[in-house]
Amino acid sequence: MPIDKVTLQILANHVRATAESMAYTLYRTAHSTFVKETEDFTTQITDAAGLAVAVPMDLGATWYPGINYGRAMAMIGSYEPGDIAFTNDPYSGFLATHVPDLHMWKPIFHGDEILCFACGHIHNTDMGGAVPASLSRALTEVHQEGVRFPPMKLYRRGVLNEEILEVMLLNVRKPEQNLGDLKAFVGALNTGERKARAMIEKFGPETFKQGLAALLDYAEHQAREILRGIPDGEYAFADYADEDGPNGNPCRLALRLVIAGDSAILDFTGSDPQLTSALNVPTGGDMRHTLLLVGIYYVLYTLNPALLLNAGLTRPFTCIVPEGTVLNPLYPAAVGMRSLTCARLRSVIFGAFSLAIPERMPAAPAGSSSILNVMTTDNRTRRTILAAINPVVGGAGGMPHRDGTNGSGADGAYLKNTPVEITEAEVPVQILRYGLLPDSGGAGAHRGGLATVLEFKVFAPHTRITARNRDRSRFRPWGILGGQAGQPSDFVLNSGTDREVRLGNTDTIACDPGDVVHIHSPGGGGRGDPLERDPVRVLLDVVRGYVSLAAAAREYGVLLHDGAVDVAATAARRAVLRRERQNGHFAFGPERERHEAVWTGENYAALTEILGGLPVHWRFFVKARLFEHLARATEPANRPSVREAFAALCASYPELGAIL
Amino acid sequence: MSWRIGADIGGTFIDFCAFDEATGRLATLKLLATPEEPGHEVTEGLALLEERHGLDPAEVAAFVHGTTIGINTIIQRKGADLALLTTAGFEDVIELARLRMPEMHGLFCARAEPLVPRDRIFGIPERILADGAEQTPLDAGALRRAAAAARAKGAQGIVVAFLNAYRNAEHECRAKAILAEAAPDLFVFTSAEVWPVIREYERSTTAILNGYVHPRVARYLDSLEVALARRGIAAAPMVTKSNGGVMSAARGKTACVNMLLSGTASGVMGAAFLARQAGIGNLLTLDVGGTSADVALVIEGRPQFGMGETIGDLPLYLPSVSVTSIGDGGGSIASVDGFGVLKVGPESAGSTPGPACYGRGGTRATITDAMAVSGYLGHTPLAYASVAIDRSRAAAAVAALARGSGLGLHATAEAIVKIAISNMYAEINKLIARYGADLRDFTLMPFGGAGPMLGCLLADELDMERVLIPRRPGIVSALGGLIADVRNDFIRTLFVDAGWATMGAVAEGFASLRAEAESWLRHDQRFAGPAHVTLSADMRYAGQSFEIEVELDESWIAAGVMTTITEAFHRRHQEIYDFADRGAIVQIINLRLVITSVIAAPVFLTEERRWGAPAPEKQVEVWRDGAPRKMPLYFRSGLQRGHSIAGPAIVAQEDATIVLTAGFAGTVDACGNLHLRRPG
Repeated sequence: MPIDKVTLQILANHVRATAESMAYTLYRTAHSTFVKETEDFTTQITDAAGLAVAVPMDLGATWYPGINYGRAMAMIGSYEPGDIAFTNDPYSGFLATHVPDLHMWKPIFHGDEILCFACGHIHNTDMGGAVPASLSRALTEVHQEGVRFPPMKLYRRGVLNEEILEVMLLNVRKPEQNLGDLKAFVGALNTGERKARAMIEKFGPETFKQGLAALLDYAEHQAREILRGIPDGEYAFADYADEDGPNGNPCRLALRLVIAGDSAILDFTGSDPQLTSALNVPTGGDMRHTLLLVGIYYVLYTLNPALLLNAGLTRPFTCIVPEGTVLNPLYPAAVGMRSLTCARLRSVIFGAFSLAIPERMPAAPAGSSSILNVMTTDNRTRRTILAAINPVVGGAGGMPHRDGTNGSGADGAYLKNTPVEITEAEVPVQILRYGLLPDSGGAGAHRGGLATVLEFKVFAPHTRITARNRDRSRFRPWGILGGQAGQPSDFVLNSGTDREVRLGNTDTIACDPGDVVHIHSPGGGGRGDPLERDPVRVLLDVVRGYVSLAAAAREYGVLLHDGAVDVAATAARRAVLRRERQNGHFAFGPERERHEAVWTGENYAALTEILGGLPVHWRFFVKARLFEHLARATEPANRPSVREAFAALCASYPELGAIL
Repeated sequence: MSWRIGADIGGTFIDFCAFDEATGRLATLKLLATPEEPGHEVTEGLALLEERHGLDPAEVAAFVHGTTIGINTIIQRKGADLALLTTAGFEDVIELARLRMPEMHGLFCARAEPLVPRDRIFGIPERILADGAEQTPLDAGALRRAAAAARAKGAQGIVVAFLNAYRNAEHECRAKAILAEAAPDLFVFTSAEVWPVIREYERSTTAILNGYVHPRVARYLDSLEVALARRGIAAAPMVTKSNGGVMSAARGKTACVNMLLSGTASGVMGAAFLARQAGIGNLLTLDVGGTSADVALVIEGRPQFGMGETIGDLPLYLPSVSVTSIGDGGGSIASVDGFGVLKVGPESAGSTPGPACYGRGGTRATITDAMAVSGYLGHTPLAYASVAIDRSRAAAAVAALARGSGLGLHATAEAIVKIAISNMYAEINKLIARYGADLRDFTLMPFGGAGPMLGCLLADELDMERVLIPRRPGIVSALGGLIADVRNDFIRTLFVDAGWATMGAVAEGFASLRAEAESWLRHDQRFAGPAHVTLSADMRYAGQSFEIEVELDESWIAAGVMTTITEAFHRRHQEIYDFADRGAIVQIINLRLVITSVIAAPVFLTEERRWGAPAPEKQVEVWRDGAPRKMPLYFRSGLQRGHSIAGPAIVAQEDATIVLTAGFAGTVDACGNLHLRRPG
């Protein structure tokens, strides 16, 4: 007999409560900054096959409601009560997706049968490897990214394997932090087990099992209901990360979204080849890998905020990710900085859905949340200090019903900042400015959310600043339906002085005493024609300092006089602008337009085909050479086609010709 | 002089609780609130207390009032038009807040709209550094221009919140003095005078909340004072605070922010008091009204305190009794979704139109309607006869859902209650995990108009074996005010490494906090009796980004040995995190001091002991597990000390209906509390 709907809702509450108990226990007892401030951890209850059935709603990271532990779980032959297994290897079961993420799971038995698992992950501050914190864009193999453990048992029948633990602690830079969080994590899994046992007793093992299955069906039903409300069709979109490695070329992610009835295909063919940098996203080609679907969770939840978050949501979706590409790299590609690429992956999905249901989707969120770290010396105590200063996050995209949220929002809403006063009390730097950046949100009938700007001064020589995950310094958050793109991010040393250095997409710099660092995030894209924005709203933006007078006239065609809208002048100006402007669905900004003038759809299709035919270890190299080749032409007229350039390349590298 | 009066305003009612110290008698009263006429319901209530209970206004020694005027001002966004002056370069501090949003799974998420719009925020050139040194002097000209601009934009008051003012408030003080002269018509609050703690957003927003509610709260308290004086009450009125204590109403007019969460705090204080009287230390309080459901933990007789409770989406960073909202109470609306799954909440019928069965225009089924359909309600009028239950309206509302859920009328009603209970379970569960508490060591105390009706059902779901139902569940908050101490919190941010070199700063810090506290209690509050002081410090290991509060013994400070203090921190860290790092640098972030008046607890009249089981008024029919079942209905007035009853049963009283589920049995104690137990 199938479970009744009343019991199902009660079970839904209990399972979620179990996942939340785990999260609160972990949060209460862990003590690293990653867990406490960044909340970079998750907990789940999965079914016996390892599919997430419930996640917490208000604590932890937002990426894993559809996670599948199944492959990693299966890599361990058999389980006994009291076992706790773990892994952090990105290439063993494609569960952990970079080395700092430690995933653990504990089977919950009823008699001889496993009914469910208590699971979760924490981001460790450091897992060893080539650089502190284990993460750098410049790394090229996973071996450089820290000590890795394939799926294995940390506890066997309740007994800790201290030898494994010793190996881990020997290899990391802050062993006491790892150990503290690990203990908290084990406590959380044990809490999960205790609550799960209480559920099994309350509902009975059969009802419990059926209930977990029905909860997956329930979420699947909700997802399909949403898809049925979206017109059938093919929606193609691509977006770019600024660089595919330090000083590199743009990295393209492409998506062809096919909606057919209540299911969808996400075909990522046309995305760049795997990179010789740490920006790869390890998915193992899993057609429902949770990292590929994070953008989907956001879209579905936006369309139905009563959504039940679990792996059932992933069932209507099928992803295609060709092997040897940035979204399905082969071992041992480095993957540490996959967060940057994941932000683009989400914006590609948001863009494709904006084509399918423009009336219900927002413009692009800022899409780059860089984590700012400073390593400096206190001139008084001579102590070296390494501290996270702030995440620099940008606003949300303009929405169908209102402006984008300023300063953070959308898929960056989970980040917390650090108070200026705390930073100044702890780190010998002085913050000069922390706030919103005027004119940074894309103009639109609904304006994009503003960027945040942070400026600070350092006082010691050899001060090192890193701005991890910084992107959108070149390719802007796009606007839609006539809305303009948001302003790009920037990173500048000693702005406005004769020692000014513009740092482009650089993420690590060294500073001298007295240097002033300026960093700002991108702004969100605008939505709808800015000429349709009520002039009174534009006036209010000017009064509030969100938009300058000049931008009000230039972008919105609104002319102000003595603190009021000049109605006649505004109407005349808007009429002129209307004749001048042509709105497509997307507004990308000049950088992308220039890039795509060279790298046209046709050229990129040729590139994708050429690279797809090469062995993986040649792809990144050939991409870089072809980019050089096309960039060399000064005039569009004498620019070679991609095939011509490739023919020339084969001629200069006989080894390449030999492979083909 | 023998009467103490507590008067507490909730969503719909004002509750009175008058204690006659001479006889130990407690008189109670419930009236509909009249928010549009402040002071009116107080006058009316006092008249009724005189008429019915022989209260003599001249004999009133204490009048303690709990009001929702402050919190309503914020929720309805009807506060003062404020201007905010910040350090130049940091004008967006309140809009950015701490960035993270409460709801973060969708693309449309947002932070709460700030209480001061950006065009009334002015950056002032000035800078104090983290060590308190002045880097840039205060620009008085800019300050005057800002005051003029603020007035031109219609500001009624100004909040000054400069960076690092927790360390050196000199610039804020000078700004206040200049503004007093440049804009004498605008009231001014500074961040460091309201709550001088490190973290600019938290400090600024606390000062803003204070300014935002100030004009309305001050006006209200003025009229209250007039009303009491007219009635012949000479005692200076007191108001309840979010920290569970009280202060003079006169102080409340400027220290308004301290009153914001007093309603829920008084409930917990009242519950903790009743539990102590009944000999119970560990308590989970459950306060359910028509529009809210709140829970709190009392551990070993002590309510728990925290900072960062929220009011209408805005955080309040003052020490407050920790209370967690677990839903919208008896008015939560049930619905059926596209998958055929029944949901309860988050929509609520509130107090207007209220549940369908109240007959005030509500048509959608609520928890209260489900309880009426099942047969738990409707045997007697509710809320001191102000509400009559119309079961046919409840049935019509629930029947509309029954069509969608595919269940019968009574099955749907039962399902609504079950799902509502499991919603509450899920929310309570987070609270329990946050404290790492084990509910098997706790007693559930339901109160408020709808708490006793849901208490046993929730205890079943939470697997709790003990439930304590106070004699008068409807007036627990008013009682909490009546028994409260005069209490205030003081804080000073030190932010130093703990070591022999900083012991002096700790001692000096506590000495000045103590002087401040004594002055507050003796001069400001004019309290002459004995006082109690507790000291604590917010501490952490260097590099951690959060602090834990460690209680300190006064003798340790006097002895001047820092290692005693750091050792206390290591021990507390060990308790919470299961390890301590005795080699690491320990930091002292804040020093804290709480001063409390020591007031003798009231001794209530106890009843004479009786034996045996009381006779039920009648047998009533209640639907449970899919079938109608007969169960006894008692009147609470007939349950006397020593009486025993067993579930399933219903107990009706003027201000609540108690539902005893099968398995629960209990006895009445000397104070009239009903102790229920369910053998495990």
